[in-house]
Amino acid sequence: MELIVCIKRVPQTAEAEVKIDDSGKDIVKDRLTFDMNEADSYALEEAILLKEKFGGAITAVSLGTAEAEDTLRIALAKGADNAIRIKAEEFGELDGYKTAMIIKEAIKDLKFDAIFTGCMATDDSYYQVGPVLAETLGVPHATLVSKIELTDKKVHVNRELEGGLIEHLEMSLPAVFAVQTGINEPRYASLIAIRRAAAKEIKVLGKDDIASEPKLNSTLEELFVPPVGKRAEFLTGTADEVSARTAEIIKEKGLI
Amino acid sequence: MANKKNIVAEINPEIREALVEMGAVDAYKCYQCGKCASVCPWFQVGTYEFLVFRFPLETVLGLIASSEDKEELAKEVDKIYRCVGCEACVDQCPLGVKIPDILRSARRILVDFGSYPETLKSVVQKIRNVGNPLGEPRETRGDWAKELNVETYSADKELLYFPCCIPSYDDRISRVAKATSLILKHGGVSFGILGTRESCCGEAIRRAGAETVFNETAKANIQAFTEVGVKQILVSSPHCYVTFSKEYPELGGSFEPLHTTQYFWQLIENGKIRPNKSYEKKVVYHDPCTLGRQSGVYEEPRNILKSIPGLELLEVDDFSRNLSLCCGAGSGALWIDWPKGERMADIRIKQLVDTGAEVIAVACPYCLQMFEETVKAMNIDITVMDVCEILHESLSG
Repeated sequence: MELIVCIKRVPQTAEAEVKIDDSGKDIVKDRLTFDMNEADSYALEEAILLKEKFGGAITAVSLGTAEAEDTLRIALAKGADNAIRIKAEEFGELDGYKTAMIIKEAIKDLKFDAIFTGCMATDDSYYQVGPVLAETLGVPHATLVSKIELTDKKVHVNRELEGGLIEHLEMSLPAVFAVQTGINEPRYASLIAIRRAAAKEIKVLGKDDIASEPKLNSTLEELFVPPVGKRAEFLTGTADEVSARTAEIIKEKGLI
Repeated sequence: MANKKNIVAEINPEIREALVEMGAVDAYKCYQCGKCASVCPWFQVGTYEFLVFRFPLETVLGLIASSEDKEELAKEVDKIYRCVGCEACVDQCPLGVKIPDILRSARRILVDFGSYPETLKSVVQKIRNVGNPLGEPRETRGDWAKELNVETYSADKELLYFPCCIPSYDDRISRVAKATSLILKHGGVSFGILGTRESCCGEAIRRAGAETVFNETAKANIQAFTEVGVKQILVSSPHCYVTFSKEYPELGGSFEPLHTTQYFWQLIENGKIRPNKSYEKKVVYHDPCTLGRQSGVYEEPRNILKSIPGLELLEVDDFSRNLSLCCGAGSGALWIDWPKGERMADIRIKQLVDTGAEVIAVACPYCLQMFEETVKAMNIDITVMDVCEILHESLSG
């Protein structure tokens, strides 16, 4: 199987103190750590599991600056065979649509049975790359994928819906899967694989390698912290008092 | 054959070279006498197989974290993170082989490739982001000191007090920072804190393999120390003590740290403070690995406790001083939760309780936190206190 995985290097903001920079359109990143986008690491693992079962090769693709090559090397160490970085620095402002269109241009000549993306990126949360890739490549797609089972040329896919529902789809390949977190358990990279990955070549593509520069579908106007709401209640008192009151609230709201 | 895997294992000189490059050079010194195994805390735990004596050989053969099977590799990475850096093995090794450094070399490579436990990733992120492993705002770092009117350090002061993270933010452990400040005030010592300019000492994340974030954090502290003209640093945590004395000089920061037990014993000897209130309790002292074995400070905490009227000092037979059993929190392990039945603190608490003590005295915030949590979880009625807290109670006025 020929598999492609889209990977993004993102700042880790889930537990961080995030500040907006002077431009008002980005965050201050100098006190943040960077890692592979969480959902992408599950997408990569899903591709590796399929490769282990059915053979083939994985190409990891990232639209990012030079540092994204570190993230691609992690993908190579975990099980990707090839890696491509598209120079984000040559494309100016990006939205979900433009990102997907640039990736599409970069991979359109590659043979593939399946493309995996994370269902969302934690930095801009557009949820668009998977669906836009699929539509413009003319293949089916599934988002929020929580299970993939392959038999012959048919794929059985579970999608995680709101309200605890699971939707079961039958699809055919080639297809795009936008993978939900928790679908598998992403692996560590072994030291020997890390050494091998360090020696592998990462193909770098720029603006000149893309037939035409895709346009933005939206432009970022402003990034801001929403005003603090008045719904929060701070409990005071001893640990016993606070925990008793917490238990009462949980009961009152019918949460248990 | 049980060892078949190792007999047929592929030897990887490349892994060996990578590990040696990252600091595992001691692996060549080991002649596999196995003395390390006799003192490694995992052998006392007994429910988890941690063959400490094999790491040097596995390094030389390039077998560390080499499995390409997902499940096997996960177990190998878990094992690499089981070492708590207590250095009991180093203490007993006839050749001084530093096995924790061998494992740290593997951790450094794993961290660079994001292949380490998620809880530790989160700790590294938070230290880089706000300078502490708890993710608490930098702005509130000095809040513990407000009610005591502790001043911000300036060059005219004798001493910089550096409580580090847990004593700054944790409700229970901040009582150690408060007791320390009150003793200093009692002794008429002019001192101050860095407050919001203080960052984590970085000792634990360096041992967890996060060398880059350690360097960055350490340099921020060195810059702050230099800018405010620090002469002498007083620390509550022996982990700060070890990293300030042995590791900051590598980064250009030579500041003489003193642990609170060393400094307060000096104050007692010089007659600046005098414990005169009776403390009629049986107290057992637990030697923290980083203060005892790693820094050679055994007498001062005991001297302080012995100077307190009414206090009866007890020892753990056979497992005291350099043979003290680790609480299990070092080298990042404070943030990794091992299954019940595989926790060093459970065994150490039992050893301490068996002395018949009413109070466990410690001299390290990690030990304090581990033991507080463990006595609660085991439902044992015993008090855990820092030596400074007991000393403070014994000072009148």
